[in-house]
Amino acid sequence: MIKIFERRTRIAMNRVKKKKSPFIYKSYSKKPKHKWLRKRNAQEQRFKRTGVFCILIAFFFLASLVWNIFSNGYSAFTEAQINLPVEFQAELIEDDAYRKIIQNSLLELFPGIEDRKEKRELFSLISRNAPHILEKIVEEDPTVIGRKSMVWIPASSAVSIFYKQHLYEQAKRSGKISTSQVAWVTDLARTQNMRLKFNATFFKNGDSREAEQAGVLASTIGSFMTILVCIAMAFPLGVATAIYLEEFARKSWFTDFIEININNLAAVPSIIFGLLGLSIYLNIFGLPRSSSLVGGMVLALLILPVIVIATRNALQAVPPSIRYAAAALGATPTQVVFHHTLIYALPGIMTGVILSIARAFGETAPLLMIGMVAFIADVPKTFTDPATTLPVQVYLWANNPELGFVEKTAAAIMVLLTFMVLINLLAIYIRRRFEIKW
Amino acid sequence: MVKNMNAEKKKTENVAECGLENIRMKTQNLSVFYNNDQALHDINLDIACNKVTALIGPSGCGKSTFMRCLNRMNDYVEGCRVTGKVRLDGFNIYKDNVDTILLRQKVGMVFQKPNPFPKSIYENVAYGPKIHHLIENKDELDALVEKTLKRVGLWDEVADRLSAPGTSLSGGQQQRLCIARAIATKPEVVLMDEPCSALDPIATARIEELIAELEQKFTIVIITHSMQQAERVSDHTAFFHMGHIIEAGDTQKIFNDPEHQKTKDYIGGKFG
Repeated sequence: MIKIFERRTRIAMNRVKKKKSPFIYKSYSKKPKHKWLRKRNAQEQRFKRTGVFCILIAFFFLASLVWNIFSNGYSAFTEAQINLPVEFQAELIEDDAYRKIIQNSLLELFPGIEDRKEKRELFSLISRNAPHILEKIVEEDPTVIGRKSMVWIPASSAVSIFYKQHLYEQAKRSGKISTSQVAWVTDLARTQNMRLKFNATFFKNGDSREAEQAGVLASTIGSFMTILVCIAMAFPLGVATAIYLEEFARKSWFTDFIEININNLAAVPSIIFGLLGLSIYLNIFGLPRSSSLVGGMVLALLILPVIVIATRNALQAVPPSIRYAAAALGATPTQVVFHHTLIYALPGIMTGVILSIARAFGETAPLLMIGMVAFIADVPKTFTDPATTLPVQVYLWANNPELGFVEKTAAAIMVLLTFMVLINLLAIYIRRRFEIKW
Repeated sequence: MVKNMNAEKKKTENVAECGLENIRMKTQNLSVFYNNDQALHDINLDIACNKVTALIGPSGCGKSTFMRCLNRMNDYVEGCRVTGKVRLDGFNIYKDNVDTILLRQKVGMVFQKPNPFPKSIYENVAYGPKIHHLIENKDELDALVEKTLKRVGLWDEVADRLSAPGTSLSGGQQQRLCIARAIATKPEVVLMDEPCSALDPIATARIEELIAELEQKFTIVIITHSMQQAERVSDHTAFFHMGHIIEAGDTQKIFNDPEHQKTKDYIGGKFG
C-alpha cells in the first residue's frame, strides 16, 4: 500500500517536473547556447561600457579644465626679480626721486645707452612699483643712505613672463617686449642677476592696473565679508522658515502656495536677484553701492530658497516616531523642535547650508548688478566699503587685454577653486562625522 | 433611537458591573472620525486602577485610535475629530481648557517600534523629568535615572555606559529604555502600543515580566496581537472589532467563556 503510494507520488512529481520546468540549464558557462541569453549578457555588458564611457568623457573635460587653468596659472605664483646695484644717494632720497635712483642703477648696469627710446625700454624692465620698494627699504633701515648695495627688484610683468618663458611667443608678438629688451634679459640671466621668487605680492595686494602688482587679497577678504553677511541673513531666515513650514504650519492652500513659490525661487536665474537687489537695497533702502553688505544681502536672497529646501529635507529625514516619542513624554511643540527634531536634523541642515554657501561664493552675475564689479585696490575694512569678490575679480581680469593678467586670471581661479574644495570638504566632513543613522 | 440608547446604557452597565472598583480612566460615548470616516463608534470602557487592560482585535479595528485618545496623541493626526468623553480620575480630558502637555505627563506611552532618542541612555531617561521640572538638582536626577533603570531591569546592563547613545542598545534593551523613559515622568497610566511586536521571544518575555512588576504602581493599557500575551499579562481584556467594542471584561472570562461568537472566533484564530 505504502509502496504504491510512493510510486504514485514519484510519478506525479516527475510529471510536475516535466511540466513546470520546460527549460533546464545544462551548463552555466558565460557563452550560452541560447540566443536570448547571449542577448541578455550583451545588454549587461553594453550598459556597463556606456557608463564607463560617460565617466571617461566627464573626467576628460574635468582634467582638461584643471590642466588649462593650472598650466596658465601656476607661473603667477612666481615673479622674476632683477639684481640691481642701487646707490642710495642722500640728495636724491631727500627729493623723493627714487625713480631716478633706479634709472641710474639700470644705466650703470647697461652703460652706453643714449637713445631716448632705448632708455625708455631699459627703464621698463623694472616694475613701476620699484620706487616704493626702495622707499620702504630706506624707511626700515636709514643707515643704507649714502651706501651702495645690491637689491632684488621685481621685473615688469612683460619681462617676468618672458623670463618664465612659457608666454615668450605671445609676449613678442603683442609687442610688449622689444628685441633689445630680450637681449638685456638674456644677458642678466646669463650673469645670474635674475631669479624667480615666490610671488607674495599676489597674496598681499588688491587689484592694480599693473599686472605684476595685482593680487587677490582685497577680493578674497571681500568674498569672505560678503559670505559672512550672506550667512548672517540667510541662515536664520531660511532655517526658521523651514521649521515653521515643516513643524508648525497646518497644511492648507496657503502653505502649498508658499512651497511652490520657494521651489520656483530656487530655479530663478541669479541675475534676476541682482536686479532685485539693485531696485530694493540700492534704490529704495539707499544702501551703499558695491559694498559687501549689499552683496551679501543679494546672495542671501539667492540661497534662501535652497536653504529652506535643504532644511525641510533634513527635518523630514527625522523619523516621525521620534517626534511622537517626545510629544508623548509631554514636550511642547517648541520643545520637540528645539530639543529633538532640529538637533537631529542639524548635520543635514549644515551640509545643505555649506553647499549653498559654496554656490554663493562662486556667484558673479548678481554682484555685477549692484556694482561690485568696481576696481578695488584697497582691502575693504567695513561692510559698507566698496568691495569685490573673487569670482568678480576673475571676471575683471579675464576682460583685461594685458598679457600679465592672463596668468593672474588663471591663478585667481585656482585660489577660488581651492576655497571651493575646502568648503565642500567641510560639508563632507560634517556629514560623515555628525550624521545620525536611523 | 430610544431603544438604541437603552441598549448602550445596558452595555455600559455591563462593563461597569464586571468588578472594576477602582476606575482610573473611563470613556463615555467616545467616537473618533478621520475626516468623514468613523473609526470608533460610541466606545464605553472603564480602565481599572493598577491593573493591566489588554486591547485585542484585528488590524484596523480601532485599538490604536482608542489608545491615542487616552493621552490625546490624536491631536497630532490631521483630520482627526473626537466626540464623547474620556475621563481620567473623573476629569474629562477633552474639555477645551485641558493642558495636553500636563496630561501626557500623567499618561505615558510606549510605541510599537522602540524609538529611543539618539542621545545618551542617561539623557533618554532624564529628558521627561527635566522638562516637567520633577527634579531639583543633578543628584536627584542621577538617583531618579538609576531608580528608573533598575525598575526596568536595565541598570546592570548599562550602568557602565550611561553616556552611550540609546540607539546603540539591542532591540529589547531599547524597548525597556523606552519604558523607563515613559515611567520616569511618574505617570499614572502607561499606554503600550504593541510593545513586543518588534522583539524576539526572549526580549518579549523580559518585557512581560516587567509589565507584571509595573502593574503594582501603574495602570497599564496594552495593545497586543498575541492572544497568549494578552492572556498572560492582562487582568481585563477588551475585544475591538470594526470600531466597536464587542466584549470587555475579565481576561479569564473572555478567554475561557466568551459571550459573543465573534470573540470566540477571534480568540480561536478563525479570523483576524
